Amino acid sequence: MKITIKFFARFRERFGNEIVIEATERTTLGDLVRQVAMRDREGYDAIFDSKGAFRTYVIIMQNGRRTEHGEAEHTPVIEGDVIAIFPPVAGG
Amino acid sequence: MISIQREDVDIGRLIHHAKQRGVGALVVFDGIVRDDDILELELEAYQDIAQKELEQIAHDARERFHLLSVDIIHRIGRLSVGENILIIIVSAGHRKEAYEGSRFILESIKSKVPIWKKELCRNGDRWVPGKRPSDTG
Repeated sequence: MKITIKFFARFRERFGNEIVIEATERTTLGDLVRQVAMRDREGYDAIFDSKGAFRTYVIIMQNGRRTEHGEAEHTPVIEGDVIAIFPPVAGG
Repeated sequence: MISIQREDVDIGRLIHHAKQRGVGALVVFDGIVRDDDILELELEAYQDIAQKELEQIAHDARERFHLLSVDIIHRIGRLSVGENILIIIVSAGHRKEAYEGSRFILESIKSKVPIWKKELCRNGDRWVPGKRPSDTG
């Protein structure tokens, strides 16, 4: 199944605007982002800590809805999901 | 008008349209690019989501502060010092609601709408530190 992962701000500078990836059944959102992030060491380190956990400031959205880090580690992705990964917002 | 756009906007025209029957106070917030020794400011947004969130914030502000109209224009792209970044225009029957409604909208945007700023400087670029939705202040 195809999943789209979008990146913004400094994460976009490491991974590009978006990556479409094939995921297998029961892959969790967290594992999928981890898998993609491994393409760029510096980008990975910006998103995950040394234990592989999402850094506290990382914001995750699944289909436009914010997802807590713990939830992301247990939520399987499904066909057509759009995941967004971004740093804290700074509008205004 | 609720919009995320590259182009600037005619604030005078928005004020004119906001002066409707029942309005006793109108507050205009105009956030501009400050001269912090930068060349330009570059803004990007998760546009679909940011648009929906701005619309939700406008709706919530109208309900909570009995606002008669709300305009929010957040610009993206490269902006020079002195250019408008964010324009918020609210109208209400009385000044208290207008001031408080404007402040509510501004702080909501700063804390949760997915928009980012990068300062482009002579000696390199730097992302403006942002806020998580749970941050306060």
